[in-house]
Amino acid sequence: MIDLDALLECVTTTSCLVTQTTSGLIVGMLLFLVAAGLTLIFGVLKIVNFAHGTFYMLGAYLAYTVFAITGSYILSVLAGGLGMAFFGIVFERFLIRRVYGANVLMQLLICYATVLICDDLVKIIWGPDFYAMGMPPEFQVPPLFIAGGVVPPFYLVLISVALVIGGGLAMVLGLTKIGKIIRAAAHNPDMVSALGINTTLLYSLVFAVGGMLAGIAGGLAAPVRSLTPGMGFSILIESFIVTVIGGMGSIGGALIAAVMLGLIRSFGTIGFPLFTEGLMYIAMIIILVLKPSGLFGKEIV
Amino acid sequence: MLQITGLTKRFGGLAAINDVTLSFDQGTLSAVIGPNGAGKSTFFNLISGAIIPDAGKVVFQGEDITGLDRAAIVRRGIGRAFQVASFFPSMTVAENLQAAIAAHRGQWGDLNHRFPRQGVRERALEVAEMLGLENNANVLSANLSHGDQKLLDIALALALEPSMLLLDEPTAGMGPEERWRMIEKIQRLWQLQNLTLVFIEHDMDIVFGISSSIRVLCYGRVLAEGTPDEIRANPAVIEAYLGTPDAEDDA
Amino acid sequence: MGRMHIWRDIAIGCLVVAVLAAIPSLLPSKAFQDFVIRCASMALFATSLNMLVGYTGLSSFGHGMFFGLGTYSFALLMQKTGMSLLTAFLLTLLITAMTATAVGAICIRLRLIYFAFVTLAMQMLLHSVIISWVGLTGGDQGLQGGIPRRTFAGVDLSNQYNLYVFSAVMLVVGLLLMRHIVNTTFGTSLRMIRDNETRAAFLGIIVWRVKLTVFVLSAVFASVGGMVMSLFVSGAYPELINWPISGDAIFAIVMGGVGSFLGPTVGTMILLLLNDVVTRQTEYYGLALGLIILGFALGLRRGVLDFITERLGGRPAGGIS
Repeated sequence: MIDLDALLECVTTTSCLVTQTTSGLIVGMLLFLVAAGLTLIFGVLKIVNFAHGTFYMLGAYLAYTVFAITGSYILSVLAGGLGMAFFGIVFERFLIRRVYGANVLMQLLICYATVLICDDLVKIIWGPDFYAMGMPPEFQVPPLFIAGGVVPPFYLVLISVALVIGGGLAMVLGLTKIGKIIRAAAHNPDMVSALGINTTLLYSLVFAVGGMLAGIAGGLAAPVRSLTPGMGFSILIESFIVTVIGGMGSIGGALIAAVMLGLIRSFGTIGFPLFTEGLMYIAMIIILVLKPSGLFGKEIV
Repeated sequence: MLQITGLTKRFGGLAAINDVTLSFDQGTLSAVIGPNGAGKSTFFNLISGAIIPDAGKVVFQGEDITGLDRAAIVRRGIGRAFQVASFFPSMTVAENLQAAIAAHRGQWGDLNHRFPRQGVRERALEVAEMLGLENNANVLSANLSHGDQKLLDIALALALEPSMLLLDEPTAGMGPEERWRMIEKIQRLWQLQNLTLVFIEHDMDIVFGISSSIRVLCYGRVLAEGTPDEIRANPAVIEAYLGTPDAEDDA
Repeated sequence: MGRMHIWRDIAIGCLVVAVLAAIPSLLPSKAFQDFVIRCASMALFATSLNMLVGYTGLSSFGHGMFFGLGTYSFALLMQKTGMSLLTAFLLTLLITAMTATAVGAICIRLRLIYFAFVTLAMQMLLHSVIISWVGLTGGDQGLQGGIPRRTFAGVDLSNQYNLYVFSAVMLVVGLLLMRHIVNTTFGTSLRMIRDNETRAAFLGIIVWRVKLTVFVLSAVFASVGGMVMSLFVSGAYPELINWPISGDAIFAIVMGGVGSFLGPTVGTMILLLLNDVVTRQTEYYGLALGLIILGFALGLRRGVLDFITERLGGRPAGGIS
């Protein structure tokens, strides 16, 4: 259960350090994309989207199919993102909108139902078996060796793409008018409706962006993850941990927490092979004991 | 009865209450006034334990109560009502008061007896009568009128038989007539219950009409204190707050 | 008047047990008895959660940890030590209470959604420990090998009918105790905190103490539900402490109604019935259940029993936050 020697050996060997850090960053960046949408939706709508993992799963399956047809990885990721943006709008308009202001358990119930339905729909459409999309041909190249560590180029691409999207999101939120509105809405929802901004449209947009991020993450991950109905759940739990650690509503917090969690996972598998998940929960509990609203969350009095 | 020395509270860099030294004598009816943002509500929050002061001392009936928590301060006899009426919306008026009385009698952790225990119901009706809520005893408090909700809030505080009562804008959101009805009730309570009463109020007619003494807060500091006549004549108050002196001529 | 309520509740409870005890002689069905045992276990668990959710406004997503702790602690004590069933039962209650005190001390100061997720994290942490501590718990295989020495007050609980009556008695006694708790002044303090925590504190209630007490009490009742389940499945398994068990309880109380004392029990029956009927009809259980949930949630927008109470002209059930 605990193998501290192995962990020590790894952190003192550059090759192992590099390999584990890269794989930790991969996990972290994918997690960040999913969690960013989750935290954005919570920040603006005060809705906890328990169906967010399903967005990720559907994005991955959609990407898988588009890749099988077109053979283009870029198209498949785009399809995952756009498909889930659309799905997010539909989900918000026809389901979530009806429980605004209802208690969190009613929201949970609606989302839970959606998860159950989508998992079964995936089973019906794609079948219950595991799928592996496989590495796109353009990335089937020999791995790089950085300081003795094995780093597949695809990983670097994945990390950069996630960073670019994260940076783009930060820029949109920080610099554009719509970004300012979204941040204002997250800060003070009453003000936005008082300003006469169309909240109906705004909420759809936020769900579209959240869905898109999760869909892109699913599409990006498809070559390195096995696809299975129910794959949304573990990423959901992890992105909850990320949003809670980072502070609900804080995108910067989500980034830091996601990277942290990714590293805990990758180094945890070496030091605590059976207890990696336990480590994540312990991290979350410790941080919330020290900072009850997460690292960058607003203090709620 | 209540002595406050050097009380200070900062939010970020801003001092909401800055080195305030004040005292309130037993049995007085005092008003705390000041422009918006003067720190009046923060002042109440500091006395009642809702927030902890950065510096200073609050002494109540000879005992240092600085830094005690809300419940501990309430149990020492400082009750309070809120700017936005604060009560238990899923309960009727009677249940609200019974709950408060049970809490006052230290029964709130009682796992043995059914609620309400003996005598609580009767006492609740007495308290309801003090404020004229007896006819609404079985009305769900969420369905009360705005004015009655404010009365219920005060009644909850009264159920604790406090020796001192802090009322944060008791007439907020009321029309002129309703205001005076509320003020008459408060004045009667003050006389009958032998209370030391401090209230925050914006209506100067009320402030100058009923208070025995007035404290003026401005930017977190005490600008002036004294009888209504003294406050009316205080040039600093006139300049900073009241505007023209003749505005309050007939008060 | 207060006294009369108690006797009336006890009389109803006795009647329910008597009717349930008589049913198998008229309708000998093992499936029915199994259903009642599972119902008893889950209803105790769901009702205990509702003391937190519905009565105090504390939405815990990790209450299943105490249900699971009950099953594991009880099964371990029975398998690895020679103590009697009653001793193991009482000791499990003690272990649960102590664990809940520690967990509660950490969690109750957190707000709403943070409270929900940290309780869930606590449950998943316990789940991880159980999965990885193979030597003690059997890891993901669970604690197999049955529960030995199944006699309680001279009654042999390895007999299906006896276990069935035992479960019914546990349910009724548990419900009566919980009903008593919510009807005391302490129970009123719970509602005060749910409605308006600030006001409750300004009336002299020490809020954290009330919250911690109800957290521990509800954990203890959840653990009783867990022990009934442990007797039913003859052991303890990781599924009984995994997150869906908390999900089931939340589902049951929201479906049944958070504003009615018996809501969670009704919700449990609905959940288990749906479970049994739907799994028999289709392999796409999730699809069918999901659609049914959506119908309920969007149609009624509240629990079944709350809906009925309101329709009968009762007072609107207290909100939850």
